[in-house]
Amino acid sequence: MKLSDVVSHAGLAFYAEVALVIFAAVFLSVVAYLFIRGSDLQTLAALPLADDVAAKVEVKQS
Amino acid sequence: MESRLDRFTYDDAIVRKFVTATIVWGVVAMLAGLLLATQLAVPQMNLGLPFTSFGRLRPLHTNAAIFAFAGNAIFSAVYYSSQRLLKARMFSDRLSAFHFWGWQAIIVAAAVTLPLGFTQAKEYAELEWPIDIAIAVVWIAFAVNFFGTIAKRRERHLYVALWFYIASIVTVAVLHVFNSMALPAGWLKSYSVYAGVQDAFMQWWYGHNAVAFFLTTPFLGLMYYFLPKAAERPVYSYKLSILHFWSLVFIYIWAGPHHLHYTALPEWASTLGMIFSVMLWMPSWGGMINGLLTLRGAWGKVATDPVLKFFVVGITFYGMSTFEGPLLSIKSVNALAHYTDWIIAHVHSGALGWNGFMTFGMLYWLTPRLFQTSKLWSQRLAAAHFWVGTVGMLLYIVAMYTSGVTQGLMWLAFDKTGRLSYPDFVETVVRIIPMYWVRAVGGALYLTGVLMGSFNIFMTWRSRPKTYEEIIVEAAPLGPDNLPKRAEPTALEKAGVHVFGRKIDYFTEANWHRLWERKPFKFTVWVTIAVLVASGFEVLPTFLIRSNVPSIASVKPYTPLELMGRDIYIAEGCYNCHSQMVRPLRAETERYGEYSKAGEFVYDHPFQWGSRRIGPDLARLGGKYPHLWHVRHMENPRDINPQSIMPTYAWLLSDDIDFSVVQQRVDAMAMLGVPYGDAVLTAEKTAREQASLIAREIEEQRGPAGLGGKQIVALIAYMQRLGVDIRTPVAEPSSPTANANKQGASK
Repeated sequence: MKLSDVVSHAGLAFYAEVALVIFAAVFLSVVAYLFIRGSDLQTLAALPLADDVAAKVEVKQS
Repeated sequence: MESRLDRFTYDDAIVRKFVTATIVWGVVAMLAGLLLATQLAVPQMNLGLPFTSFGRLRPLHTNAAIFAFAGNAIFSAVYYSSQRLLKARMFSDRLSAFHFWGWQAIIVAAAVTLPLGFTQAKEYAELEWPIDIAIAVVWIAFAVNFFGTIAKRRERHLYVALWFYIASIVTVAVLHVFNSMALPAGWLKSYSVYAGVQDAFMQWWYGHNAVAFFLTTPFLGLMYYFLPKAAERPVYSYKLSILHFWSLVFIYIWAGPHHLHYTALPEWASTLGMIFSVMLWMPSWGGMINGLLTLRGAWGKVATDPVLKFFVVGITFYGMSTFEGPLLSIKSVNALAHYTDWIIAHVHSGALGWNGFMTFGMLYWLTPRLFQTSKLWSQRLAAAHFWVGTVGMLLYIVAMYTSGVTQGLMWLAFDKTGRLSYPDFVETVVRIIPMYWVRAVGGALYLTGVLMGSFNIFMTWRSRPKTYEEIIVEAAPLGPDNLPKRAEPTALEKAGVHVFGRKIDYFTEANWHRLWERKPFKFTVWVTIAVLVASGFEVLPTFLIRSNVPSIASVKPYTPLELMGRDIYIAEGCYNCHSQMVRPLRAETERYGEYSKAGEFVYDHPFQWGSRRIGPDLARLGGKYPHLWHVRHMENPRDINPQSIMPTYAWLLSDDIDFSVVQQRVDAMAMLGVPYGDAVLTAEKTAREQASLIAREIEEQRGPAGLGGKQIVALIAYMQRLGVDIRTPVAEPSSPTANANKQGASK
């Protein structure tokens, strides 16, 4: 008996819809966490600007 | 106790290499695009040569634009920004060099093999199996180098741009491996292990997510790093960037089936793809708004700084494309737009506007820093590039919108007697030729802008110092000494809140996410799981639940000669202009015949449904014309129809069929499960007999003699088979299995 025989008769055709609901729910949870009770993240947002002022201690010719 | 500081340098030499490759391949990709655009307006521009015909060059253009131009741009961004965001030199200079030279060798291999007709015929995944293996090896080297750098980083927090890079690296690897599964039938020939509907599903799961994780997420990483740098202010909302990231990981991966609306794909998969595509609209716009609002208070700079000009228009095009994508995924809109130039407009607003302009914005910001010149050679030339490129792009896109909607409406139109208003396909082609000219002019302008930019960057490079300065940077290593310390109890602890309450607070404050961002291994694993689970939920049922692909008893494998003809069809890239998929729309069944069923394609390794109808659909071509018609048509299409824009294929009448490989190819198909039975033992003999028969029939139709061993005969054998099986009466069922098959055929 092949795997496709087992799966074909297992009545799983609905599971894509279940997955849709699960993924949409997880995604909406992220939205909720961020916008209802999100913490202050502005220091993290400034990381790209910080590398300009990283301690450059020496310049040498290569 | 004072922390020890590490001293290190960044590897900018590798970034300079990738920047140079970006520019060189950008010019090549766009030159190829311009040649293809003129070929559609003037078919003589195909030059009558196999190597320069539209079907063979179009994959070269798309591969060069995506993997050579955009690919090298991505690597430039990743290598420059990752080192700085992680405060670490790349993990291994040798791996960096291997990645660079390996990737360029792959591009050269593509540039040689595609015009020679070596292709797997799956869009954006055409390269044959040895090159596919090379891609996997080089990608793994890149991944090891990237994750190795993360492992030795000196900045605990992973900035949002790095998450986008992580998702890109992981997902592209998964997509490439699963979509490229093929059985070799020679050194540069292979057959997809999937067939028909399953192959189509796998291909567009790959195709759409290649857009998502090669042309979107890494460029968003680029945006989240280089835009704040150029604007000299942090991204508008870090929260929005988190939302943007997870929306792409959780939703984008599902959207692929919208490329297959109204095809033989199961209805549920098509609907699922549409729903997730529509859901993508808002988070994508959140990302666009986040980018544009980063410029709050800096809009004055946009007027004077070409870098910001490119970024603003690039991000705006991201917004346009991500609005248009969900719109096109709605089935009723898709019924009009699919197979037309509307899709070409959509992809070029993304490629030229989003990818192209973000790349040039980054290059103009990077090059003075990389080449250690005080500034760009000419700000005015950069501004001129911006305007010429913008006008060129708008001309291109507006022309293709007009062409697409015009042709789509003409295909669907009925007159008041209930007949097709434009039954002759070529009528709908002639009408859009002026738009092809406008597109060629727009493309030429865009290329002119790219050449201006290349010259500007070349001149900037020329004013570099004799030797580059190497900047030594200091930063504290990550280690137990540098872990954030908990000196005092938190406010909740002081207030005596129960540990359970404190945990809820920790969760709702999104601190869990901040913790994740410091744990790249966990982060990567969860991204991978999300991608794999979503893909599995969506793709696997079509492979494992048989009711998704009902079988049809009358559908039989191709004969050995038809298989050889199919291989010629694939090598010439016919799928770039012709679909083999009649949609269940009245306008299509009137024009082409019975709509296509999933069971018709069970022996199609690979599927040949196509994605654009520059010429008519061929699914029901078999038996429509005599053999001689095909001979004359392939020799010069304008002898049959003076208005045709199809290239000539005269070489098919003089090039020999390689009968020595017939057996090998039939064996490969048999290994994939195609039921050849005893015929597998006499493949070459059977092919020669059928070729002689067709050649004799051509002579009887007063055609040229001596075509028995020529490629045209194999191609005709294949084309005369298309759509024939479904019209063949099925023999009386003699067993329960055959009975079941017959029921399947009627579905």
